[in-house]
Amino acid sequence: MDIAEVLQHTSPELFLPELEAGDKAGVLAELVAGLVAGSPTITKQDAVLQMLESREALGSTAVGPGVAFPHGRTLAVQRLTVLVARSGKGVDFDSVDGDPTHLFFVLIAPPQDSGHKYIKSLAALTDKLQDDTLREKLMAAADYESFCAALGEE
Amino acid sequence: MHPQLQKLVALQDIEAMISEAKEQSSELEGMGFNLDGLASLQEKADSLAGEIEKRHLGYYRRLHKRFGHAVVPVVDNLCTGCFANIPASFVSATNENLLQNCESCGRILYWP
Repeated sequence: MDIAEVLQHTSPELFLPELEAGDKAGVLAELVAGLVAGSPTITKQDAVLQMLESREALGSTAVGPGVAFPHGRTLAVQRLTVLVARSGKGVDFDSVDGDPTHLFFVLIAPPQDSGHKYIKSLAALTDKLQDDTLREKLMAAADYESFCAALGEE
Repeated sequence: MHPQLQKLVALQDIEAMISEAKEQSSELEGMGFNLDGLASLQEKADSLAGEIEKRHLGYYRRLHKRFGHAVVPVVDNLCTGCFANIPASFVSATNENLLQNCESCGRILYWP
């Protein structure tokens, strides 16, 4: 799966250019609130938050340099949905390298996700976000369109 | 939503996460994800299961064994487990706090 396919599952309404929360719990709550506000088919905020908190209990999803990929499957969503968020100041997200996390890619999918699209999307993103220059461009992008354009560059 | 249904949904989500972590561990670890918390997540699932009434948990376990997914979402008035039509009366406000099953397959119904 390429990045263009992953971007089909997000939208300008699912882009949070500057998170306000300063800790992990607050960021998770803000990300979930963003999902509910940005996607008309997601209404069960508590169920989504509980799933993402459980996923973090399995192991922190902040595995990229300055990037976290909160993800999982829940009955509370009907289709693969991707939310993107940034934190200029950075947040302690229990990252593998101990550094603050600035970029967040949230992927949530229903239990029946034919073709494991969300795992393939996750693989495409974790691979792509290894690039230092790309992460700098994403942090500097002025809006959703330029963010997607940078992410979609070969 | 019925409080017991809320717990059943959370339990199914966590159990699916545990299965996925076990079945796709090499793929997930290859992406850099650490799955060290598997035991504590299992404890969380056990604790949540302990909060569910025995009759509901027993029924959930039987459905899970038979179908894989015990709780299924209703989409466009269809049970997404067997695709039977769900009567409109099921979604009335009066029934909002009931734990409901598909009349055709018996799966527990959830309105996402």
